[in-house]
Amino acid sequence: MINTARNISEDELHNRILDFVGYVLTAARALYKEPQTYGPMRLVDTLTKSVQLLEDAGVRDASIEGVLAVIRDNRWQVTANPDVFGEALDEAIKQLVEVTLQDAKLQKAE
Amino acid sequence: MSLNVLDSIRTRRSTRSYDTSRRLPEGIMAALEEAVLNSPSGSNAQESHCVIVQDPQQIRRVKRFAQGVSGHPAAVVVLCSNQKEALEKGGIDTSETLRFVNLGIAAAYILLTAQSLGVSSCPARSFHTKAVQQLLRLPEEVVPELLITLGYADQPPRPKTSKPSREVISYDQYGKEHI
Repeated sequence: MINTARNISEDELHNRILDFVGYVLTAARALYKEPQTYGPMRLVDTLTKSVQLLEDAGVRDASIEGVLAVIRDNRWQVTANPDVFGEALDEAIKQLVEVTLQDAKLQKAE
Repeated sequence: MSLNVLDSIRTRRSTRSYDTSRRLPEGIMAALEEAVLNSPSGSNAQESHCVIVQDPQQIRRVKRFAQGVSGHPAAVVVLCSNQKEALEKGGIDTSETLRFVNLGIAAAYILLTAQSLGVSSCPARSFHTKAVQQLLRLPEEVVPELLITLGYADQPPRPKTSKPSREVISYDQYGKEHI
């Protein structure tokens, strides 16, 4: 994990936090009535937004970049082709497992 | 240069990522006003109201409570319906159903007018009604029902997938194809 310099002002960070909280709350509220496929869509968008928010605040973790790239490349299929998007989620999870195993190996070696 | 109606229909796709460096063309607001004012309204109730949001700070506030809005649009049209006026002028049918039909027609006019001027758009229904109502200081009876974002797309549109025409259109009776 890398701590980088915060690249936005205090005010802008405050606004981005409010944007993020607003997104999650309104998304959660609406999901009671929205199509089932909107659930995964809102969750992966929440993931993307939260990682972006961490980056804006000066925290970046390169080990999840591959996972995020898989989500980014397939995001458009989330409602158009849910099965394909499901497979993309499997691929992202597989990559995260690999990162986890790699971390475990490093911890053992220490 | 503007596109004709059929070209606008054929080429329009919902846009979820906008080029933030480009401003909307001059004259688009006048064109949108014309589109809204000329859209038909059942029983001539004219109960629809549009709020066109252009102030970047106000767009951000609305977007904060509109999870269905993606990207950074140059403007957001908030299509509202005056429930009281709908009932008074159009009766129960307009109040319960026709006002949504009227808004849908107005929305189509807005989408196609924008497209004809080279401006991309995306309708969004996913937003918190009460929050948007408060932010725009709408009277209680004026309810926001649909948002349309406007701006210049920064990505080429994805190919459209449509059902076969026989599943969507029949001639003379249900299921009968055009000869």
